[in-house]
Amino acid sequence: MLLELDHISKIYGSLHAVDDLSLTVPEGEWLAIVGSSGSGKTTLMNMIGCMDTPSKGSVSLEGRKLEDLNATQLADVRKNLIGLVFQKFYLVPHLTAVENVMVAQYYHSVVNEKEALEALDRVGLKDRAHHLPGQLSGGEQQRVCIARALINCPKLILADEPTGNLDEKNEKIVLDLFRQLHEQGTTIIVVTHDALVASCAEREIMLNHGVLVGEKWNDEDARAKYEAAGGKPASTGSKSEGAQTGETAIGFADPTKAAKTGGEE
Amino acid sequence: MAADSKVEKAGKIRKPMTNRRMFFAMIFGAVFRRRSRAVMAVVSSMVGAATLFCLAAVCLVVPQQMSAEMRAYGANLIVTPNEASSAAGLSADTVSSVEKTVEAAGSAKSATYRYETVRINSAPYVLGGIDVNQVRDLNRHWVVDGKWPSEGRVLVGRDVADAMGLEIGSAIKIAYRASDNAAGASSSGTSGSAGSNATAVPNDSTTAGTTSAETQAQSTGQSSRDGRVSTDILNTDGTEFRVAGIVDTGGSEDEIVYATNDDLTKLAGERGSDVIEFSSEASADQLTQLVNRINKSSSLGVKAQQVSKITSSNTRIITMLQTLFWLVSVVVLVLTLVGVSTTMASIVSQRRNEIGLRKALGASSASVGAEFYVESALYGLLGGVVGTGIGYVFARVLCQTVFERTLSFNWLLGLASVVLSVLIAVVASIVPVRRASRIDPAIVLREE
Repeated sequence: MLLELDHISKIYGSLHAVDDLSLTVPEGEWLAIVGSSGSGKTTLMNMIGCMDTPSKGSVSLEGRKLEDLNATQLADVRKNLIGLVFQKFYLVPHLTAVENVMVAQYYHSVVNEKEALEALDRVGLKDRAHHLPGQLSGGEQQRVCIARALINCPKLILADEPTGNLDEKNEKIVLDLFRQLHEQGTTIIVVTHDALVASCAEREIMLNHGVLVGEKWNDEDARAKYEAAGGKPASTGSKSEGAQTGETAIGFADPTKAAKTGGEE
Repeated sequence: MAADSKVEKAGKIRKPMTNRRMFFAMIFGAVFRRRSRAVMAVVSSMVGAATLFCLAAVCLVVPQQMSAEMRAYGANLIVTPNEASSAAGLSADTVSSVEKTVEAAGSAKSATYRYETVRINSAPYVLGGIDVNQVRDLNRHWVVDGKWPSEGRVLVGRDVADAMGLEIGSAIKIAYRASDNAAGASSSGTSGSAGSNATAVPNDSTTAGTTSAETQAQSTGQSSRDGRVSTDILNTDGTEFRVAGIVDTGGSEDEIVYATNDDLTKLAGERGSDVIEFSSEASADQLTQLVNRINKSSSLGVKAQQVSKITSSNTRIITMLQTLFWLVSVVVLVLTLVGVSTTMASIVSQRRNEIGLRKALGASSASVGAEFYVESALYGLLGGVVGTGIGYVFARVLCQTVFERTLSFNWLLGLASVVLSVLIAVVASIVPVRRASRIDPAIVLREE
């Protein structure tokens, strides 16, 4: 398994942002973490992305336990294994598109402009390579962000609401890019509350106030493969109502955009 | 990510982007593509550099300048003949040996003066014989309206000009009477006396192309040695001169008429000078020693006198000026530090997201810190260079208007000013940069 979460919790005072979650993700899987705002999705993503440590439990990436690593080692794991895509893009505003991609190379190993341009070409932005983020549309900025995430050939792409700020056309472009990456064998974990985005994934898990409340597979072949490899459904030790505690997955209806607008935000 | 050679080759066709180039590309982007903030940081260190450079330039140059200017306010050492040799004045040999003695103590400017009493419109006046270049060099404070004396032209003191209603270009007749100077010899040392030269006068007067009336006047003068000067009160003959200029010093010079040494010799015959004035660069102590040495030396036959007032006030003003400089410099330094530090803090807080992102991409705290320090140093460098330029212009204008001297650019000081600006900028950014390198990517990137 590429990623193993073993009874992890993130506790802020009396608030359990993530409550006793166990989850395994094999290499090459496309997983969507869904749930309304404040359900602990981003906290979970930060812990997987080595940017935050769980209060309890342990996270293993490629068999390495993250809690044993210091800040520098965590930074190394992050830059070697993980590509990050954010809802708000977080491009460096005073660097051009290609320079933004090269920043990831710079902190990873060696800057190579040719490869950076190829990555931009792959997301269809070669002709916009020397524009500043301010001169790019939201969709283009997100594509630069994806080019930056994949420039170092990460094993795992972590995307937090990657289409949250995009219109339908750009959402489709981004999802197509993810589909390509998935076909090439990259593991993708997408945090979203968009039903369409979630439905593109092979597997979805649902969080509610930090508690795992459901899991479903959109691709039965993938499920069979996962179970054949000894994969188990996600589970939680939480005693909350509706929690998926046992060995069996509890199905759920896709969250909708309407749910998002009616949410806590 | 092994760099494949094909890619490398392709990279070399354009400008190959290396990590070092990328580092500077990031700094360049931050400085030149985020101009509003960068300008603030540059302006902060620019103001500091400009003020410091201007102050330092003025304070380095002005004391030198002031000693020169102060020395221009006349002499700080006066040498006159002693009692024995006062009548004949100082011979050329004596003058040169005194000059050598004085110059041994420190470089000095000197001028000799010969004074004779003459008659202009029958009234007695002192006529000074000078070497124009020497005197002009020594007395920069003399305000001369018109020109300095030349052959046949005299420089008239303001009081003399006012008394006689003279203007530039006016003609005056100057008559020399040996008797006047014989009488004056006992009363005034510096005004000089030339009684012994009386015999030479008629010859010189004729060679000067004077009229027969002039010769007559001289002879009359000679014959009235007993003080019957008033009897020839209506005798206004003499050699005609033109007024080349009028000198105003506020001192005794205003009561004297100056002619060239040659003109005076033609009028009054050969005689040595009565005073040598020195403007020496030697310190007050050295001057005291020098005065003692000259006065003890019997071979020179002269008296030396120190004009100490100017020398001591000179040093006092310079010390005051330098203290003021240090005080203002410290204040400016602190203000620059605060200015740059505040701007850097605001730059850092504005770029929290970017710093968080860099850390999320694997940047270490040290590399984030290095980037900001270099960026800050660049602001310091830009501000330092521009500020030093502006400071120089200010210092130059200041020197021009206040001290009336041109200021040349001191490269060493310029370099020091730029280096100091860079250092201040880096020191000022220590606190903000430390804060930046502690930013937690998770917290920043989680912010909605």
